[in-house]
Amino acid sequence: MKWITRERPKIDRIACPWLIKNFVDPEAEFIYVPKEEVFIKAKALDAIPYDIPGAEYTHEGDHCTFDYIIKKHNLTDPAILQIATIVRGADTDSFHLAPQAAGLWAISAGLSYNYKDDHEMLNIGMKIYDALYSWAKYVQDEKHTWQTK
Amino acid sequence: MKWITREQPKIDRIACPWLIKNFVDTDAEFIYVPADKVEEQAAILNAIPFDVPGVEFSHYEDKCTFDYIVEKYKLTDPALKTIAIIVRGADTDRHDLASQASGLWAISAGLSFNIKDDHELLQKGMMLYDALYSWAKYLQKEKHTNNPVDHIFIDVYNKFIKQKTAQKKTPAWVKELKQIIQDQVDTNLSLTNISKSLDINPSYLSREFSKYFDNLSFGEYIRKLRIEKAIELIKEDKYSLTEIAYLTGFSDQSHFTRIFKQHTDKSPSAYKKEWIKSKAGTKS
Repeated sequence: MKWITRERPKIDRIACPWLIKNFVDPEAEFIYVPKEEVFIKAKALDAIPYDIPGAEYTHEGDHCTFDYIIKKHNLTDPAILQIATIVRGADTDSFHLAPQAAGLWAISAGLSYNYKDDHEMLNIGMKIYDALYSWAKYVQDEKHTWQTK
Repeated sequence: MKWITREQPKIDRIACPWLIKNFVDTDAEFIYVPADKVEEQAAILNAIPFDVPGVEFSHYEDKCTFDYIVEKYKLTDPALKTIAIIVRGADTDRHDLASQASGLWAISAGLSFNIKDDHELLQKGMMLYDALYSWAKYLQKEKHTNNPVDHIFIDVYNKFIKQKTAQKKTPAWVKELKQIIQDQVDTNLSLTNISKSLDINPSYLSREFSKYFDNLSFGEYIRKLRIEKAIELIKEDKYSLTEIAYLTGFSDQSHFTRIFKQHTDKSPSAYKKEWIKSKAGTKS
């Protein structure tokens, strides 16, 4: 399927494509357009609009679009659920939700500042969420000491 | 130059190359080798070893190699100072130092798990620090460290620098420093620590200090404030002398007694007795 949202993604519009591509729809294609064109282009391109008010896939209460996808598609991987809290914290400016939220926000905001091409941003952002996923799933209990063990 | 360190970098060995390449040595080349080969290869390749124990560019005190480079090359960009604290927090497992440290650690640990080629990892890591730098320089609205004292010192330092160029009579930093000392008089303030936090030569700060602080040295000034506070506390009549010694930042009772006597010509207990007597006298 095609998935369409507003241009200039930072958190949720990068995290959702990562989630969709890896856990919902491996064939997914992502399109970024100016905000006012999302629903028009969605119809024209037969794409699913997301992370925009008025779409099915969007914020719900204090939860963000990433949370909605998890709920809708019954994803239960604990690593995904943990990332959801971090994403929600970073995306809704509620850094207290997860210790990693403030860092994810700083890095995402900086990436978005440095990369003006949305697809380049998506490409790099995917690596960030791949990393967060590996951390959540495999290495989060590790402590870091600087000297080699 | 060539720079060499241990393989499988995560935080400091990615952040330092980024710092070196962008702010110190634009032609720098980075080499990663097994930990036990760093020294030997450094000699063979004429490379500067970093982030390994026993070399110049390494961890020191509670700080990491990134801090050392910032200090050594006198990098004063405030964005770098912000990043340094985040890197230190992530690298030394002190996530309390900066709220971004946990996130940086999680992403860096995950990247290192996913990418086994050190140079590919370095390249991805560079983007991470480019991003952190843009955030720190242009996008952060507020500072998120849990170490307000550091920031107070940095703010004072900035004023100090501005003041130096402005050449006014009573520098603003004096007022600020006075305030800090007053607030922190019960802690272990030392001129060395303050000068380090301010990144000012201790002897210079020491020389400048007495000009603005009643002609007293830093130590004398602190002691004077502590004794003044002790006298206030004695008059409150709520604390024992042992507690007062502690509350005014003296490490032990006898030191407190000695300094107190130097300033008032009386021991604390004599002072207390006389004060109680004089108070009783006024009451009757």
